Amino acid sequence: MSAPLLTPAVDEQLDLQAAPAVPWELVVWDDPVSLMSYVVRVFRTYFGYPKDHATRLMLAVHNEGHAVVAVGPRETMEVHAQAMHDYGLWATVRRAGE
Amino acid sequence: MTGSRIHLPMQSIEAQHLAELVDQFLELLRDTEIGEDAALKRLTPVVYPEDPDASAEFADATSADLLDRRAADARVVQTGLVALGEGPETPQEELSLARSEIDPWLRTLASLRLVIASRLGIEDDPAPDPEDPRLGVYEWLGYRLDLLVEAADELDGV
Repeated sequence: MSAPLLTPAVDEQLDLQAAPAVPWELVVWDDPVSLMSYVVRVFRTYFGYPKDHATRLMLAVHNEGHAVVAVGPRETMEVHAQAMHDYGLWATVRRAGE
Repeated sequence: MTGSRIHLPMQSIEAQHLAELVDQFLELLRDTEIGEDAALKRLTPVVYPEDPDASAEFADATSADLLDRRAADARVVQTGLVALGEGPETPQEELSLARSEIDPWLRTLASLRLVIASRLGIEDDPAPDPEDPRLGVYEWLGYRLDLLVEAADELDGV
């Protein structure tokens, strides 16, 4: 590829810099198999959440059918999803706000 | 409690039974294609339910490794069960786990429960026959898993 002959327009550079880092969400879904104590432990030990917070998240999964347990870049959420799948939890990834 | 290990009672008959389940699980992982088996599908969930292409790409890149890790975990359990009751320091009918063995045990017990739940159709309507002997195994695995979680939490001081 040859070097560009023209300097890019300033507007374009600004557009690039303004590209928003859209956060992604890791969602864990309720299932009838996973034990409550086990889910709390997984949230506590894997994410490092205090037991209270891990328990609240587990209850949200249980009572509301699902809960967002982490937010961040897509790649990070995919790594978390694999870890949740390792523990047998039903986890999905989605764009925040969907 | 000796500080850095978990000690749990486990009868020889339980250990034998669990060893058989783990052997079957390793066979399943070795001999079966994911797409052919509902339980293996449950162990490798779809990551983008709204986006089949992205999900397929993710699965292609990760599912085989995921199941390899299940097999590695299961082998840790297998080895632990063989060692059960052997050697002068491990009394009969006691399971003793090092910290590093806890997660492989937790994940394997949870996986076995998921496989049996899938075979039983635990979520199906009508519910599985209460006389189905696999239901007893499923509940027993839950009991063992809960015991292990409790002991592991205690080791962490929570």
